[in-house]
Amino acid sequence: MTASDVLIPPSPQSETNSVKDLIDDRSEQRVFRVHRSIYTDPAIFDLELKRIFAKTWIFICHESQLKRPGDYLATDIAHEPVFAMRTANAGINVFFDACAHRGARLTTGRTGHAPTITCRYHGWCYNTEGKCIKVQFEKLGWPNGLPKDFNPNLRPVPRVSSYRGFLFASLNPAVESLESFLGEATCKVIDLLADQSPDGLEVLDGSIRYRMRANWKFQCENGADGYHVAAVHRNYAATVSYREQLGGPSRDPLESTEAGRILNRAGTNTGSYDLGQGHMLNWSDRANPAALPLYEREAELLQRLPPEHVRWMVRRGRVFTGFPNFLLNDVASTSIRVWRPVFVDETELETWCFAPVGESEKARTARIRKFEDFFFPSSLAVPDDVFAMEGAHQGNSATDLGWIRFARGYATFAAGADEPARSLGMKPVSSNSQGDSETVFSGFYRRWLSMMTNHE
Amino acid sequence: MAEASTNDLVARATSLLNLEAALLDDRRWHDWLDLYTEDSMFWVPAWVSDEAWTTDPKRQVSLIWADRRNLVARVFRVEGGDSYASMPLPLTVHLITGIAVTSSLGDIAEVRANWLVHGFLRTSGAILRAGRYEYGLRQIGADLKIAKKKIFIHDDPITGAIDFYNI
Repeated sequence: MTASDVLIPPSPQSETNSVKDLIDDRSEQRVFRVHRSIYTDPAIFDLELKRIFAKTWIFICHESQLKRPGDYLATDIAHEPVFAMRTANAGINVFFDACAHRGARLTTGRTGHAPTITCRYHGWCYNTEGKCIKVQFEKLGWPNGLPKDFNPNLRPVPRVSSYRGFLFASLNPAVESLESFLGEATCKVIDLLADQSPDGLEVLDGSIRYRMRANWKFQCENGADGYHVAAVHRNYAATVSYREQLGGPSRDPLESTEAGRILNRAGTNTGSYDLGQGHMLNWSDRANPAALPLYEREAELLQRLPPEHVRWMVRRGRVFTGFPNFLLNDVASTSIRVWRPVFVDETELETWCFAPVGESEKARTARIRKFEDFFFPSSLAVPDDVFAMEGAHQGNSATDLGWIRFARGYATFAAGADEPARSLGMKPVSSNSQGDSETVFSGFYRRWLSMMTNHE
Repeated sequence: MAEASTNDLVARATSLLNLEAALLDDRRWHDWLDLYTEDSMFWVPAWVSDEAWTTDPKRQVSLIWADRRNLVARVFRVEGGDSYASMPLPLTVHLITGIAVTSSLGDIAEVRANWLVHGFLRTSGAILRAGRYEYGLRQIGADLKIAKKKIFIHDDPITGAIDFYNI
């Protein structure tokens, strides 16, 4: 341990300007460190809500989750209640979840169907465009109508946009365009999902929310962290291998699970990318592409798409972590995860299974079984992640220890694109030919720092 | 099962559910597995809306959809001493009430019950969860065995892990 390892920056609790001192970015010297207090300081957490979550684009849901006019999904952005709703003319609006009258929350649940939204407090009604269509007993209270300066309509969230079915919203009217927020490299990663069926993607029924007692950034790190896989998910790989032995010689590749890349990291091609804008990608070649539900479509995909794109889709597992709080997985199965900061040490997460529209029943069921194996808090893997992240939070509460150093993998680090990225026409900020490296986190934390120190 | 023995069936089902709870709480996993038929299904549906659970495991995602082989593998996972979430395991106590036979036909009885599980870890404290069970019990020789166990979890969001031993 050197002297600088225990250097503690000025406490940000009294002086928020010192946030800039919480990231020690000296990449040219192969040093990238974050101060432990970014995970545990409530003042930092409050700033994150204001300067990140209230300022940037936040993933809401996939558009397939709002099928009929009046279908809604309620969530929050930076602790402000909002809901997304399919409109009567098939668009999607995102409103603040508050009655225009006295502010009562309108939605009655997490998801629902309400072609007319009625406030249960005083009975005001709204249509799916947010227009107030009834003021209860209006004439008795306002014989001449509502005052001119009383806007009776729902307040839309300032910005709503979607990219290939993935819906985002922002509380910030001046936020950059969604395309700019995602960046070209991330759009290519999303295309690898959206292009899997000419009819697009759909989110499947079946979900549960779960809470972990850890800072939200541990989930950001966990998704892009290839290094934990061999330790934390060794048990998952051993369990599914054992299960396959119990079943005797496997009859159908779809019934097996690609645990090979977990048990044999050294023999598998892997890599990671700083995609820019804080987004990260971690990939590894699939041990057995025939175990992939998408495998049945490979020939059809090759007719529609360049072979290198299909190779990325079918032959490489990919974990994409979007800044600040969503994850798109295409490994053994496919998932969307979103997580919401609740407190500095508590995070709510939700994961959905998505699939290409029109896949065979057999592939669909296999996808669902593989999803259940890994992605829920009731699976053979995510519980281990959750407890590992909680353990990381507890250990990092020792803020006197100072800095966390992301040091692994500089030997395989390179600026710009490597060959696999070039094959996709993708231009990441940096590449690493080892998916177990930690250099990818610098992209996330540079974006974090840039937003946290932007005072406008 | 003879109609005359409805009370007897309730008593035997109660005894079986209590035994299952005790085996889980005592971590006698292999004795617990022995309560299940070879073709048993252990099913924990997920939510499709705020008031409904999934009903079609082939087209919807369940929290757990486990045949016996999957249950054996889950026991393997917990026993392996290599699962972050399973070491240490919580101390659990299953509280089961309202055991009722909802139908019985031939050698099959459908049973429902309410459950509440208190799971305690010294590191993080107690977690309480509750829900409902639907069992399909089958008479095999002299024994009543579990051919189906469907577990509805009422809590959402949940805290901590969900596994066969704590729901």
